[in-house]
Amino acid sequence: MPPFLIRTFLCVLAASGLCAQQTEVVLSATSSAKLVLAMPAPKVTGLDEAVVATEFTAVLKRDLDETGVIAMLLERLPADSAPVKAWKEAGAQWLLNARLSKAANGDLQLEASALDTAAEKSVFTRTYNANKIVPLRHLAHYLADDLVGRLTGEKGVASSRMVFVRQTSPGVKEIFQVDRDGAGLMQLTRHGSLTLSPTVAVDGRLAYVTYKGGAPEIWGQRRKDGPHEKLYPTSGAGGMLSSPVWSPDAKRLAFVQGDRRGNSDIMVLDLAAGRARRLTDGTGINTEPSWNPNGTQIAFTSDREGGPQVFLMQDDGSNLRRLTSEGLYNASPAWCPNGAMVAYVSRFEGKFDLFVYKLGEGKAYQITTGVSTSESPAWSPDERRLVFTSNRFGSSQLFTTDLSGRQIVRLTELGACQSPRWIRGR
Amino acid sequence: MRHGIYLVPAAIVLTLGSLACKPPKTAEQIKAETQAAWAEGVQAFKDGKARETNPYLNDKENPHKATGWFAGWDQAKIDKAAADQAAADAKVAADAKAAASKAAADKAAAEEAARKAAEAEKAAAFKKAAEAALVTIHFDYDKSEIKEKDRAILQGIADFMKAFPAAKVEVEGHCDERGTNEYNLALGNKRAAAALAYLKTLGIDEARFTTISFGKEKPLCTEAKEACWSQNRRGEFKLK
Repeated sequence: MPPFLIRTFLCVLAASGLCAQQTEVVLSATSSAKLVLAMPAPKVTGLDEAVVATEFTAVLKRDLDETGVIAMLLERLPADSAPVKAWKEAGAQWLLNARLSKAANGDLQLEASALDTAAEKSVFTRTYNANKIVPLRHLAHYLADDLVGRLTGEKGVASSRMVFVRQTSPGVKEIFQVDRDGAGLMQLTRHGSLTLSPTVAVDGRLAYVTYKGGAPEIWGQRRKDGPHEKLYPTSGAGGMLSSPVWSPDAKRLAFVQGDRRGNSDIMVLDLAAGRARRLTDGTGINTEPSWNPNGTQIAFTSDREGGPQVFLMQDDGSNLRRLTSEGLYNASPAWCPNGAMVAYVSRFEGKFDLFVYKLGEGKAYQITTGVSTSESPAWSPDERRLVFTSNRFGSSQLFTTDLSGRQIVRLTELGACQSPRWIRGR
Repeated sequence: MRHGIYLVPAAIVLTLGSLACKPPKTAEQIKAETQAAWAEGVQAFKDGKARETNPYLNDKENPHKATGWFAGWDQAKIDKAAADQAAADAKVAADAKAAASKAAADKAAAEEAARKAAEAEKAAAFKKAAEAALVTIHFDYDKSEIKEKDRAILQGIADFMKAFPAAKVEVEGHCDERGTNEYNLALGNKRAAAALAYLKTLGIDEARFTTISFGKEKPLCTEAKEACWSQNRRGEFKLK
């Protein structure tokens, strides 16, 4: 379709009154049409324009491009002083003006306002104040998230982060964090030992398994920004411990405890009471718990019927039922943030691929089809994408994919990564 | 003033010298002292403490022996000889003592060395036996059953545990890279437990074993092929 026709169509759409109200959702996220947003170069005080171009404008463009709902127009723009009509003719549906300033003490301020060029009225105004330790690119992420929120009714995930495990030397793995765009890599643990299975609560508290004491132990933070301390076992040896997962209310921790007879069971630890309760019955392997969004059910992997399959149960162990029916090896369930889907991995022809089971439909959809293996799916907070590990370029690296499996993006070029979790950063 | 150059210092020296020197005793002083000594002697005589011997004759046996500054000469010689003799005696005694203690120390050292050698030999034998017995066993894909060919290895481990009752062993379960990290940790636990259960049937107290699972986190070999995977699906036995 030629561009002028798209514009005509969208103008008609706009004229028909859909954009009339400030709070109304303008465009459905599932639509393939994108809103065209133009932004003249930001007005800058106290900052270098070249730095702003790479650390702000380019970051914002990449963030918005990856949302799939906004296309950013940066080239062949009218002059800054041109009337709104000129911007409309250039193809812009929204005109974004940004003003960036850096105070003498290093604090940043971003004033952003967007104008609907068809209705010639303001659709978005917001001022961001950031401490000097916040990088400029984070302001671009915040703006991108709010623009997407204004457009679709749901905040974007540009400012989200990944927490994952990475091997630092043979036999030593530590937990790292990286921004959603692959910048800002940070090491979160320094145990000098095997450290696995990170989980991040809704308030940002971390928990994980570490082998630093010889045997595995569950470590984590009891309070927000608190020190990392041992959470389980409180005394004595705990046997095999793995897969801690915070409940959605961050008060309980589901985890897996294995005994000396080879069984492993899903347990739930109540942090305040300090009591752990066993939910599965102690036959065979039960592992990889994943909470549903309101914390009433748990999806997990069990080999009770032979090979590993995904099962669901209530958070007291009752109402057990098998979810996956096809394939001989289904594991690693991840319940999506609104509860309608469960992502998992399935072995097919010797390699693993990501699948999504839609609970309402009772059907599973294959997401990745590759010659290589894809593992450890975790949902983005807006559940539009999944982060996973794949060895398609040799060593195991982090990728994200949309739910069609067509738009796979490599997140980092770091090797030896595993167990990613995707968390909101703001 | 021709003689002043001699006379003036001489006068000064004499004046200062006479001032610095003790003034000579006067006749009265001498008389008083003599009388006091006399009175003391008379009093001693009256008290019956008068000397009966001539204090100037030290040697009664040899009353004509002259005494003087040289009188101590012989005594010094005797004292020196006695001291030399004592020193020589002490040296002999010390030498004897040192020789005795050295002999004792040598004996103790020899005993210690022998004990250490025996211990080292024992430790070496233990280590050798452990190395020979604690052989890695292997598993099939997604399985935790002990294979037929590994039973001899487990029998060897049981024999080793019986021969060395103090030995404690950690059983490690490992997996290949296929499958999820968490499921493989559980599978590794199952493999370690299978080895433990088999060793228990061979009559070894299970309290002497600890189990640990490393899942697929510690592979021996990282290539994506069966030859490598089959090496990684293993149970290892480590002395604890």
